[in-house]
Amino acid sequence: MDASAAVMNYPRRDARDKLSGRTRYTVDRSRPGMLHGAILRAQAAPARIVRLDVSAAEATPGVRAVITGRDAPGLHGIGVADQPLFAIDLIRHQAEPLAAVAADTMEIAKAALAAIRIETEPLPAAVTMEQALRPDAPLVHPDWTSYEVLFEGGGRSGNIAWEATVVRGDAEAAFSRPDVAIVESNFRIGRQNHLAFEPRAVIASYEDGRYHIETSTQVPWTVRNVTARVLQIPASSVRVTVPPVGGGFGLKFDCALEPFAALLARKSGRPVKLVNSRQEEMLTCLCRENAELRIRSAVTGDGEIVGREAVVLMDCGAYGGEQIFLTTMTAHTLLGNYRLGSVKLVSRAIYTHTAPNGAFRACNGVYNTFALERHTDEIAARIGMDPLAFRRRNVLGAGDLGATGQVFEGDALGPMLDRMAAVKASRPSRKAQAGRRLYGQATTVGTWFVFVGPSAATINLHSDGSASVITSGVEIGSGTMVQAVPQIVAAELGLRPEDVIVRAADTDAAGYDVGVGGGRTTVSLGAASRAAAIEVRRKLLAVASQMLQTPAEKLELRDGRIEIAGIRGSGTTIAKVAQRAQELLGPLSGVGAFTNSPVVSQPGCARGHFIEALEIPIFAVHDCEVAVEPETGHVEVLSYTVVQDVGRALNPRAIASQIQGGVAQGLGYALHEEITLDEQGRIRQTNLETYRVPLATDVVPVEIHLHEGAPSRGPLGAKGAGEVPILNVAATVGCAVARAIDRRVEQIPLTPPRVLAMILDKAPAVRLPHIAERWEDNVLPRPARKS
Amino acid sequence: MSISLTINGETHATNRDPLTPLVDVLRDDLALTGAKAVCREGFCGACTVLMDGQPVVSCLLPIASAAGRDIRTVEALSDGGELSPLQKALEQHDVVQCGMCFPGMTVALTSFLASNPNPTREQVKQSLVGNICRCTGYERIIDAVLAHAQAMQGGG
Ligand code: FES
Ligand code: FES
Repeated sequence: MDASAAVMNYPRRDARDKLSGRTRYTVDRSRPGMLHGAILRAQAAPARIVRLDVSAAEATPGVRAVITGRDAPGLHGIGVADQPLFAIDLIRHQAEPLAAVAADTMEIAKAALAAIRIETEPLPAAVTMEQALRPDAPLVHPDWTSYEVLFEGGGRSGNIAWEATVVRGDAEAAFSRPDVAIVESNFRIGRQNHLAFEPRAVIASYEDGRYHIETSTQVPWTVRNVTARVLQIPASSVRVTVPPVGGGFGLKFDCALEPFAALLARKSGRPVKLVNSRQEEMLTCLCRENAELRIRSAVTGDGEIVGREAVVLMDCGAYGGEQIFLTTMTAHTLLGNYRLGSVKLVSRAIYTHTAPNGAFRACNGVYNTFALERHTDEIAARIGMDPLAFRRRNVLGAGDLGATGQVFEGDALGPMLDRMAAVKASRPSRKAQAGRRLYGQATTVGTWFVFVGPSAATINLHSDGSASVITSGVEIGSGTMVQAVPQIVAAELGLRPEDVIVRAADTDAAGYDVGVGGGRTTVSLGAASRAAAIEVRRKLLAVASQMLQTPAEKLELRDGRIEIAGIRGSGTTIAKVAQRAQELLGPLSGVGAFTNSPVVSQPGCARGHFIEALEIPIFAVHDCEVAVEPETGHVEVLSYTVVQDVGRALNPRAIASQIQGGVAQGLGYALHEEITLDEQGRIRQTNLETYRVPLATDVVPVEIHLHEGAPSRGPLGAKGAGEVPILNVAATVGCAVARAIDRRVEQIPLTPPRVLAMILDKAPAVRLPHIAERWEDNVLPRPARKS
Repeated sequence: MSISLTINGETHATNRDPLTPLVDVLRDDLALTGAKAVCREGFCGACTVLMDGQPVVSCLLPIASAAGRDIRTVEALSDGGELSPLQKALEQHDVVQCGMCFPGMTVALTSFLASNPNPTREQVKQSLVGNICRCTGYERIIDAVLAHAQAMQGGG
């Protein structure tokens, strides 16, 4: 098939209803006899539950079900099963669920919550990672040793939920070379809230002995399996369907409210709707985590990085969740981008008595790239090399070794830097626009990946010449399920994309899928759909070959017809062939599947890692110009330019949309979005007034250039394009501001007070006393590996 | 006490508490779920409707204050299933993503364009500050609005 047949600016089919207010997101739905659910959440943490008495709630007229931890005994988690549905005995974080009710109206549900009697006893807290790492720190999970470990290999101890390390080459020797400069940088990063417009919401019912969960999620199969786990029921008794999702960004990459609603539905015998209020969303956001990092490099005078060591502390909050997996990704981001002679890295997910964190578009890649690129600038300054020349000299190219010893294929970052240089040379600098303000500019590089994993697809080709694609893919707004997937299938079958129906996710109908996120939708669901289409095509051609008395190799499919190659009008319509096939063989269908294929890393160098190498890396080069007002510290972005590796751009206009949107979210993170915690570990920003996301006046038009041709196992050479645009925004803005004000930028967001303090030399340097001076002292003693 | 509301040209009587926000009556009682209650505090604009032609956030509007006024929701912009010219432009430029902000945004833009048929880029930008979008980064919406305004000028 000619890949260019799949390339087009095909517009989204769901825009019409979204624009006219007719799309029914989960929050907009209801069912006959539906009850309203509400959750009682902890006011203060940590605490021991002395008494939880729900009898008054149960006795409230109109209350149909009340549930507590007794109803959901199972623990779940990623890597380690450490999380119960409700707090049982121990409350570990503010807003942790204690009980839930379902009632005829929301007012009754709220009144019932108010009638629940709870007595608690406060416990000593570990709110910050510094507190949690003290030798005498209160343990967030006193029973941590008893938890089921779901994935072997991570270091665990007390408040260290997970530890992953990479050791490659002889870093010790590199750091003691006489001809190297040793550069050290420290960083502290806050949390970022997704602020997806549709809150987490679910409607559950219990029918014919099975649960039906209709929910706003990115991961229908995780919802199915986690619900089964915490309810201790067979996973096959849970069906998950997903209406259009009103924004995800990773927030909905985990099971959330679904088990509560399922339990309430079972107990009440009625459908139950449960929706987070905006305040609940803010308090239980599963933010991009706060982190603290130290990175040190040994660099020769001519700019060779002979050694790099780093310690990264990631706050997972009260439960491990996604951060346990993300310790892996530090290797490929903080130690990504550049050739390194030797490496020593430890990443730790730390338990604290705070709300759990989670996944957020490009996850820790965003702050790791910020830290790495700022560190890179500090290295260049120290050795007196131009920062761009330093990057150009060191970026990973074909045949180079990555952090864990994988061999990279193809050159991407080098040519992309050249492309950015050419773009910049072709237009004037915006320096004049800065006027009397301080001007800064930076170009940075970034590496992220496609979280490949299993996907399945089934395609039915109907006798009217239309096709339907059945997958567990969810449309979260990125457009993949309404653009790339039908485009790929249509191109393979010679149809128009509008003839390809894409079924909404339903775990009863489609095979397993990891979920929509991690840049994997186009790659994994697209590849599974393409494989299914190829099977349908083969069957279709076999029948057409008989009908047209022509060997299948001499036939081509396009514009809804099967023609003898090169002769227009010689053949017949696909609908007619599908009809004939239906008569001869029965209805035409095909199935497809896709999953990872392992990439080799250097054996033994990575420990506690969920993946040891990047199967499909994605690269990005960003550039920005800023003006900083010296009197106020206000940062204005003057220009923003992106060169993004997309493999093959199937829908260039939709990719541009993702880049503009992702950069805007990155600008918010770089300049003003920050979730902070008070001394009790409570989240301070509980609404849109205190948590400021970018407004129209805060953004700039992004100049976008797509880099095609880097190797990818994705369908037709495509890569995910929606996740990566946010990756190096904080890095680029951070480097540009640092250059403008000639100060070390060690923290984001770069709010005016923070920038002004730096300009006035009143910003204390980031100190991380809980990171030991010697790298080895930050690593748990581990039994030696059997070789 | 019953309150009488005029919504998209139809009269509805409701016995709800006079302080009930209009958005709840629209969504829960009238199945007009186009207006979204995203923040309920007047910050995001996703619940915007027109009251006597002026955009208002329906999450802060008690039904008592809406009584007897002419309320138009996003559903009225595409009466009979036909998208308005502005909506068509937004569809054709492929600017929608998750879509949660667009009902409020199209209502606000419709009213803005009615009084500013030929706006500058900066004016369109300013007009959107009350409508937050978490997905798109705004600029491509602004491109579409400007193209639409120009086309309307050319055509009219
Ligand atoms: S819901 Fe009304 S302004 Fe946000
Ligand atoms: S398109 Fe998602 S909030 Fe605007």
